[in-house]
Amino acid sequence: MEPHPIRMVVEDDLERSRLTVFFRLLLAIPHIIWLILWGIAVFFVGILSWFIVLFTARLPQSLHDFSSAYVRYGTHVYGYVLLAASPFPGFTGTEGSYPVDLEIDPPAPQSRWKTAFRIFLAFPAFLVTSALLGGPGGGGGGSSTSGGSEEMYYYWGGSMGLAFTIAILAWFACMVRARMPNGFRDALAFCLRYAAQTYGYLLFLTDRYPYGDPRQNPVPAPPPPRAIALSADEDLHRSRLTVFFRLLLAIPLFIWLLLWTIPVVFVLIFGWLAAIALGRFPDPFHRFVGAWLRYTIHVLAFVTLVANPFPGFTGTPGTYPVDLHIDPPERQSRWTILFRSLLAFPAIVVETALSFALWIVAFLSWFAAMATGRMPSGLRALGEWSLGYYGQAYGYLYLLTGTYPYSGPPAVDVPEAVEEAAPVDTWPEPPEAPSFSAS
Amino acid sequence: MARAARSALVLGLLALAALLGAAAWTLWDTDVPEGLRLPEVEASAVLNADLLEEARDFERFLRISYLVSLVVVIVVFALYARYGGRFVRESAAGRIGTGMLLGMLGLAILWLVQTPFGLVDHWWQRRHGVSELGYDEWLIINWFALGGEFLFLCLALLIVMGLAGPLRFWWWVPGGFVFVGLVALFTFVSPYMIPAQEEPPPWVVDQANQLAAEQGLPEIPVRVQVVESWEAPNAAATGLGPTRRVILWDTMLLSFGEDEIRVVLGHELGHHSANHLWKNVGWYALFAFPGALAIALITRRRGGMREPLAVPLALLVFVVLQTLALPLQNAITRHMEEEADWIALETTQDPDGARNLFQGFAREALLDPDPPWWSYHLTETHPVIVDRVAMAEAWRDRRER
Repeated sequence: MEPHPIRMVVEDDLERSRLTVFFRLLLAIPHIIWLILWGIAVFFVGILSWFIVLFTARLPQSLHDFSSAYVRYGTHVYGYVLLAASPFPGFTGTEGSYPVDLEIDPPAPQSRWKTAFRIFLAFPAFLVTSALLGGPGGGGGGSSTSGGSEEMYYYWGGSMGLAFTIAILAWFACMVRARMPNGFRDALAFCLRYAAQTYGYLLFLTDRYPYGDPRQNPVPAPPPPRAIALSADEDLHRSRLTVFFRLLLAIPLFIWLLLWTIPVVFVLIFGWLAAIALGRFPDPFHRFVGAWLRYTIHVLAFVTLVANPFPGFTGTPGTYPVDLHIDPPERQSRWTILFRSLLAFPAIVVETALSFALWIVAFLSWFAAMATGRMPSGLRALGEWSLGYYGQAYGYLYLLTGTYPYSGPPAVDVPEAVEEAAPVDTWPEPPEAPSFSAS
Repeated sequence: MARAARSALVLGLLALAALLGAAAWTLWDTDVPEGLRLPEVEASAVLNADLLEEARDFERFLRISYLVSLVVVIVVFALYARYGGRFVRESAAGRIGTGMLLGMLGLAILWLVQTPFGLVDHWWQRRHGVSELGYDEWLIINWFALGGEFLFLCLALLIVMGLAGPLRFWWWVPGGFVFVGLVALFTFVSPYMIPAQEEPPPWVVDQANQLAAEQGLPEIPVRVQVVESWEAPNAAATGLGPTRRVILWDTMLLSFGEDEIRVVLGHELGHHSANHLWKNVGWYALFAFPGALAIALITRRRGGMREPLAVPLALLVFVVLQTLALPLQNAITRHMEEEADWIALETTQDPDGARNLFQGFAREALLDPDPPWWSYHLTETHPVIVDRVAMAEAWRDRRER
């Protein structure tokens, strides 16, 4: 696959100044004002660009440079606010001036049809962007609630977007360690890259659609080894009939999952007590809860269209195209077992935000699969990331592993073309688990 | 030896048939006097000419739609029985899970082909003021109803395929008992599954208690179900033993006066006093065992109900058997409804109230008082309106004599 015309370049050393982190939002105020003012100009330039590209099929270099600088500057500012980078950015959006930067190809011929309907075509990408970065433009979180505390919490996590949720957690981590957790930074880089591609698409910098595959993040180093990891086949075929009725077909699966959850609750309570005493989660409990968690992943993958076939009812490893590998039980620190629910809280918050993205993926994929009989590969990869993190976060919470979840996007299968096209990334050290890791 | 075994099998089957016949005879027993002659009642005596024309026009359309839809259902299931096995590749589940998927997909395809008919019927009902439900609401309700059907089907397939695993062909014997037990259980809990139940006005409770005492029943609770967007009146007797209940749609209270409501209460309580809900379970048992046997026999060529590939064929067999049994099943329910009507007349002593009620039904729900014979056998679960009015007149004649 050709590399996307809008690519992310990350040259960040993960070091953060506590002082600037503490005042980050206030420090960013001038940038936010300037971004808004520049955005007003870009709005009119965007309209002008639409007419020009519609008639000439190409964006003039001057307008391309203007809008490119805006998108790049937006990435710098969001990178700064979200703690994806440390230094105070400049106000010009100059290429190569910031650790979290964009490389944008020169203007190229564009399809007039795609240009004519750009605002409508961009809508799905905006939905994904809103799940990743927050509301359109990365706007704030939701405060209106209508239900119990859980609903309130979920809504909060979702409307904040993955990036803002991570940024809040990262703020605490940076204040404690003066260092950004690697997984968080990588996740933010992906969110920023997708948002930049969306805005670039909308501002006619390219007619290539934003690509949702988080594996295409410029992460040259492999992620840390994980005790719980997701594996998935590459089959993108989807049966329209089962897609159309997917939610209804899943009703027996949900009921079975619910029934299975009842004994799991008791097993977890006894298992937690036993693990505190033994320093490890007992084998039979590990198998039982592991199968249940794996089955949850099977069901979620089916419902959200990340996988196609109807899953079984046993959670047996190797029986489903999207599967969860769980290492055998290991010794764990008794202290981390005792305080597991507290320690897992940040991971569950991140998981909630990622789950919101997963349901957006499911919603959009439903239409795509009904139209084409296939699952968009980028959306599927995004779904896999979310499911994989779900497995890690709940596996940690349920004592299946003592390894803290790694929130960064999966770094496997980086296409060669992307690696060639992207500039050399300097990653000062191999990735590490977030600072909350208590293992 | 083989001959002896065959003889034993034939004798066994004959004994079973005799047992079923005796059970059917017992269940058919009724309080309606033997040899009761119903007077001739003309449809024009039930509805005025304009309303009669509208009711006939209304039902004619629905009948045609029903017939076409029935043919489509059978054709679709026949095609699904032939080609449905292809969907096995859409499953990563085991034997039973794959069977569930095939079953659900069969119903899903059926839903897709039946929805246009349903929408046209709904348009017709809205046009005649029988329903006020919006098309979007109708679709949503039907969508969730499909989810409920999926659930029931999955439970049924879990039982059948679970039993067919170890028992192979003989699953139908314990399976029949399990299904009868489930029907009894469902009847028992059904009063709690009806949404939007409210307390009735005090006079309804007083009338119900008085009628229940006359029918030798303890006090049976009466509830009013709030039915939004539906104009036709209706009522039902639900529950078994301690869960027995009478449900009146709010449309019933809005459409009729105290005399008619009293007849309705007498009728629904009559179902309870004549043990019709238990009899329903009994009748179900009489159909369930031969039906399960037929499915077990016919699906043998696909490996029996143990195999997921047999599920599409089993669906076809089930639908065909159900269609064939419809006239008989309708005759049974009509027979019980007649008895409930008779009990209502005996306890309310109000043939005028009964006549007004039946006329009101025809008027409000646009029921054809005297439908064609084929529709009578195929679709009518209650006595037709002219027969119900005739029974009220027959009761009056007997009393006057």
